[in-house]
Amino acid sequence: MAIVAQSSKFSTYGRPVLAWAVGLLFFFPIFWMVLTSFKTDADAVKPEFLFFFTPTLENYLNMTENYDYWRFARNSVISAVSATAFTLVVGVPAAYAMAFNPSRATKDVLMWMLSTKMLPAAAVLYPMIFLAKGVGLYDTHILVITVLCLINLPIAIWMLFTYFKEIPKDIIEAGKMDGVNTWGEIKEILVPLAWGGIASTALLVFIFCWNEAYWTVRLTTIDAATLSKLIEGNRAPEGLFFGRLSAVSTAAVGPIVVLGWFCQKQLVQGLTFGAVK
Amino acid sequence: MSDRKLPRLLQTPAVLLLLVWMLIPLGMTLYFSFIRYVLNSLRRPEWTSPSLSNWRGFGNYEFVLKSKDFLLAIQNSLFIVCSILFLTVILGVLIAVLINKTFPGQGIVRVLLISPFFVMPAVNAVLWINMILDPVLGLQGIAVAGINEIMDGLRQMPVLGGFFSLWPEFEPVSFRATQTSAIAVIMMVTWQWTPFAVLIFMTSLQSEDQQQKEAAVLDGASTWSQFRFLTLPHLGRPIAIVVMIQAIFHLSLYAEIEIVSRGNGNKNLPYLIGEFANNNIGAASATGIFAVILANIVAIFLLRMVGKTLME
Repeated sequence: MAIVAQSSKFSTYGRPVLAWAVGLLFFFPIFWMVLTSFKTDADAVKPEFLFFFTPTLENYLNMTENYDYWRFARNSVISAVSATAFTLVVGVPAAYAMAFNPSRATKDVLMWMLSTKMLPAAAVLYPMIFLAKGVGLYDTHILVITVLCLINLPIAIWMLFTYFKEIPKDIIEAGKMDGVNTWGEIKEILVPLAWGGIASTALLVFIFCWNEAYWTVRLTTIDAATLSKLIEGNRAPEGLFFGRLSAVSTAAVGPIVVLGWFCQKQLVQGLTFGAVK
Repeated sequence: MSDRKLPRLLQTPAVLLLLVWMLIPLGMTLYFSFIRYVLNSLRRPEWTSPSLSNWRGFGNYEFVLKSKDFLLAIQNSLFIVCSILFLTVILGVLIAVLINKTFPGQGIVRVLLISPFFVMPAVNAVLWINMILDPVLGLQGIAVAGINEIMDGLRQMPVLGGFFSLWPEFEPVSFRATQTSAIAVIMMVTWQWTPFAVLIFMTSLQSEDQQQKEAAVLDGASTWSQFRFLTLPHLGRPIAIVVMIQAIFHLSLYAEIEIVSRGNGNKNLPYLIGEFANNNIGAASATGIFAVILANIVAIFLLRMVGKTLME
């Protein structure tokens, strides 16, 4: 019984302390970035101003005035929202078909879809730029949205599929008896039932779209450039501009981190990829 | 029966889109990999536009295989991916088990913990390599300087000073150097993706059979054997899924490599392709085909592993 007593002592004191330490450790870099964003570039590298300094909004003002932050932010919102919506419109019916009307090929189709995700982006980047410039879509929202949708579609379909699969077929069949057609089935029965999984998929896809930096940086110049492009442009000078760098970074990741906090429970519920039985 | 056909047809848009997305660029990459194609050439201007008359056969492949960076890039790709997978799974399991039981502030700790997952990879890299790991201006530099100052103070002490004088001065580590730049990448990606592993493991732990656990406790099973024989087997499936999803993402790691050291010491296949693509599209495409082959080898292993359990 000694072990039980020991473990309960750990539960009362050790576990909370250790858990908080781990949580704070993981959060520290983000905290540090936000803190530094309120320092001037000169103060940011001085050890004597590590924690105590005169906060300033200079970096943020400089960012909105000189770097046109809001245009990048607006582009990020437009592309991430549209790409997420587009992914769901294509992904939900596909996952529905695979989960409720599987054929012998379903598993292979699903696996093949995931394998397209392993295609190294760098390998196909040049042909893509070549094609995009050829049809005049380079640096447009349409191109960015299409690419974001395509690179997230496999993961989205997989996530939705594993979620839909847990729904008893009888419920869907019952709808059929009542004379509901396929669209009705999806709209009236499936979507309300699988709302948790759909919302969670949408969130994850939105996060990936917002943070995507490989394609969005290389397929845009000005008009459709997102926040990743703003980061790309500001990270070049090494060292001396920590304040400015932190402000731009905070402004780029702030919205998505806060969204993540609010939707944390929702995300956890759906993020199982069929791992939970 | 038509009411079975329509539902199946619903997957065709997704399948067609992905088919086009895969085949067209892949076909072009394959084509470019067999011709001489450069962006700038004063000597041979005819090579600057893709054309069958510039056919080079396997010349590009030979060129890539002979370049000194190729094997290094494959090694780095695998080393970085495997290290990240190993670290995130171990840390993920430990942290998930740690925070699975209720304790004061559990909700807040969970929010703090998952935050890194939402951070843009480019921001992650910029933040770590400059503000945390920089040997002079970053927290590492400041911390090492601080420790050395304290040590200097201790050396001045009357009696113990002699003892402390035996200790060496600490040197900050430069994470942009050839030997360490891969470590920096592994560190920052592990920081970002451990939360993802924790999330998935945590969800899975919540469905663990509690009665079985209580029975084990009554039988006098130690905490370790409970973990070893009940929790760990229960986590097998989620571990497979975490490994697979991360492998997909980390094989194409790029921003972190570029920001840390521009490929010095940590050059992986995507980065090598990027370097070739600055001018020699033919060589970049041939490297791309090698990368596709590598990804497929990894994919076959992973899909076998996860695929078995997926359709159950």
